[in-house]
Amino acid sequence: MTGSATPLSPEVVSRSGNTMVLSMGPQHPSTHGVLQIVLEIESENVVKADPEIGYLHTGIEKTAEGLFWTQAQTVMERMDYLAPSSNALCYALAVERLLGIGDRIPERAQIIRVLHMELTRIASHCVWLGTHGIDLGAISVFFYCFDLRENILDLQESAGGARMHPNYVRVGGLNGDLPDGQLTHLDALIEKFPGRMRELRGLLQANPIFQDRTIDVGVLTPQEALQWNVTGPSLRASGIAYDVRKAFPYTGYETYEFDVPTRDEGDAYARFLVRLDEMEQSMRIVEQARKRLGTPGPVMIDDPKVALPPKETIALSMEALIHHFKLISEGFRVPPGDVYQSIESPRGELAYYIVSNGENRPYRVRTRPPSMYNLQALKGIAPGNLIADLVVMIGSLDPVFGEVDR
Amino acid sequence: MPSTQIPPIAGSAIDPTSLRPPIDDAEIERVAPATLRARLEELKNGGYAMLLDLGAVDYLQRRPRFDLVYHLLKLQPKKATVAEVGSPARLRVLCGVDESEFVPSVMDLWKSADWAEREIFDLFGIVFKGHADLRRIQMPHDWEGHPLRKDYPMRGPARERSPRPSFANKSNVVAGTPPTGRTFEALQEEVKRARES
Repeated sequence: MTGSATPLSPEVVSRSGNTMVLSMGPQHPSTHGVLQIVLEIESENVVKADPEIGYLHTGIEKTAEGLFWTQAQTVMERMDYLAPSSNALCYALAVERLLGIGDRIPERAQIIRVLHMELTRIASHCVWLGTHGIDLGAISVFFYCFDLRENILDLQESAGGARMHPNYVRVGGLNGDLPDGQLTHLDALIEKFPGRMRELRGLLQANPIFQDRTIDVGVLTPQEALQWNVTGPSLRASGIAYDVRKAFPYTGYETYEFDVPTRDEGDAYARFLVRLDEMEQSMRIVEQARKRLGTPGPVMIDDPKVALPPKETIALSMEALIHHFKLISEGFRVPPGDVYQSIESPRGELAYYIVSNGENRPYRVRTRPPSMYNLQALKGIAPGNLIADLVVMIGSLDPVFGEVDR
Repeated sequence: MPSTQIPPIAGSAIDPTSLRPPIDDAEIERVAPATLRARLEELKNGGYAMLLDLGAVDYLQRRPRFDLVYHLLKLQPKKATVAEVGSPARLRVLCGVDESEFVPSVMDLWKSADWAEREIFDLFGIVFKGHADLRRIQMPHDWEGHPLRKDYPMRGPARERSPRPSFANKSNVVAGTPPTGRTFEALQEEVKRARES
């Protein structure tokens, strides 16, 4: 074959000396979204990797400045679309702190929040594991993972009304109580889970191909992890047991019993093991939360200035009608001040730095996106590795681009 | 809805952060740009190994106009159990910066500052001196204006609408022109000046 191949355009490939610049993505299937990496390679070896982000920038922080406090929560959920409830919870906690109602959230709402947070963590890790498996050629893991995730999405849908963005957690509590039959489905899931985890571990954990591809790939030392501001499972795989649920407990996490899995190796395999262990710990929390769900009670704060009145009272009570009208048409006002609120999202420390100027819209919502900082570490760990291993590293850092680009 | 949305400031409270005692578990410190770099270096050597987050806020009517918000976390860069980590100290460093001021980069102290500083440069137009690779990160490279500034129109710069007259005529949304129309070239010049000075 001479002369028939179309040469690549000069923007995509250029050579200088022994190295070659190659653009990987933004449509590459293994970049889990729209990530472009400008690679400098010497034969198969990466000399320099420069991730280019921003392809999914939707201006969520700017949009939030034009919305009421409750409306802004809707766009917050769109950031980390694999674990939307965690974004909603973090935002709600921050606003509740600004309002000064953080200690008045009903007990049952707290329990259900924890329950959904951990379910969403399992669902998110399922997507990570499935796609990570596909990247490495293990196709069947994907189906087992998505089957498990489907059960969790069903629970989310029945509780909040939508599969992907349930908007179930609200400022002041929850959208509503758990629907009838949810606990039966939850029990079925709890029963199914250990067997499914055994299957997932059986497919990958001792698999020699999987081990060959992940062990000693993309090693992050504790020093490097802190330099790159890596949090979540990726940090814990480097040996530092920093978990926001333990360090700065919220929604009553201090009353649940769970371990923080860590590993010392800091490679892609360690990150894989930490996430698998984390799924089991999450299920432990889910089981404890399930046991506490026996007593019924309110799931929304009893404060008409923040929470919508129950629908049935609107036709009967003048005050309820006025409150409803005011909350819908102009929202509530939040006292001025600033707050930094963080939670442990499936990807790491997710935080909002919110500034209020006393109006009915947030003045500024700054997100600390865990994925963005985790992904940035790629610049540090990619050089010196093969291109094929780059795919493993991206997968093991688990970025979500809705959150990286916002 | 007006195209440029400047939320009214409650009373005289131009900076809400100064109004209220802190309500989260972070210590708060305010530093001037001139001493920022030295103070952060001191903190880094004092055990704040992690630059948790770096953000900015635009207080349009205030001088200095912007606040840079550094969140630091005191963690030891070595293996640690949950008990050893405990509840590490969190510190919020606020630094007021005016529009024409350069801010020293902390990229050499914490590598993670790289993208955070690029993002602030991109969305607020604050130039970091000493940053090795200061270019836009979220917006396209030739974008004009800085979207997270308060005087930037909420719906973006005015551009031609899609040819659907029935919708276009009824739309009550007016897109405006970004007031800080620094061109691509002008911005490049400014970054170059910061690097050379």
